[in-house]
Amino acid sequence: MNEWCRKKPLEWQVYVNKEVKVTAAEQEYQGWVFTVDPVSANIVLVNFKDGGKASIVAVMGHAVEAVDVLREGDSSMADQLTSLFMPAGARSYSR
Amino acid sequence: TISASGPVDCVDLRSEQRARSFLRERYLRSLIAMVKRNVKFTMYEKVKVDAVFAGSDIDILNFQVEDLETPLGVQKEALIRCPDVISYSFEIDSSL
Amino acid sequence: VSGRSAQPPVERPGERRMAEMKKLYGEDAAKIQGMETAMQLTFDRNCDKKQPKYWPVIPLKL
Repeated sequence: MNEWCRKKPLEWQVYVNKEVKVTAAEQEYQGWVFTVDPVSANIVLVNFKDGGKASIVAVMGHAVEAVDVLREGDSSMADQLTSLFMPAGARSYSR
Repeated sequence: TISASGPVDCVDLRSEQRARSFLRERYLRSLIAMVKRNVKFTMYEKVKVDAVFAGSDIDILNFQVEDLETPLGVQKEALIRCPDVISYSFEIDSSL
Repeated sequence: VSGRSAQPPVERPGERRMAEMKKLYGEDAAKIQGMETAMQLTFDRNCDKKQPKYWPVIPLKL
């Protein structure tokens, strides 16, 4: 098990809403962190595109070699991420 | 699997539980949003395949997919082992 | 199993899992378990009905 998989939920949560670069199996992935699954340590990155599309890439926890923070997200980025997978009509959800 | 860390006080345990459920709920929602979408899987040994995502077990060990485009043709129904996967990607409409 | 069949089992099925979920997820345990149950049910039903085969046949990563 790699170092990333051994982290605790509170440590993973620190990455949420930040832009990161993930290194895994000699490849690099960049995007805004939506979540880290506490079961698999899979990290879900989002890149918002023009025309209202978003591309989602998840890197499997077991493959993660490094996660570097590039940028802090502001509250509008946090809101965009929060509403991303919410079913229509349930967008008032918050935590 | 996962476990709550050793002897922690109540406040620490609560905040760890809150963080875990926040992260887990978001992950499960991302999987639900992926159902019926075309997903690109990057796997070990330089394998890249496309398939329509149909579901996952809750331990995230297997992805169940349809219309998997393998180098040898289309496999209508398939299971992908998550340990074989490096990353997966898909697109959604994010406009509110 | 003991012969005291009239007695309820000491631990009902699912009870142990709920206790584990409570420890991991606290007050949100029921919500998370509900989402997980739905997802696992779909997965099991699809596997029963469609009999998907592993691809690739041999794991890439052992």
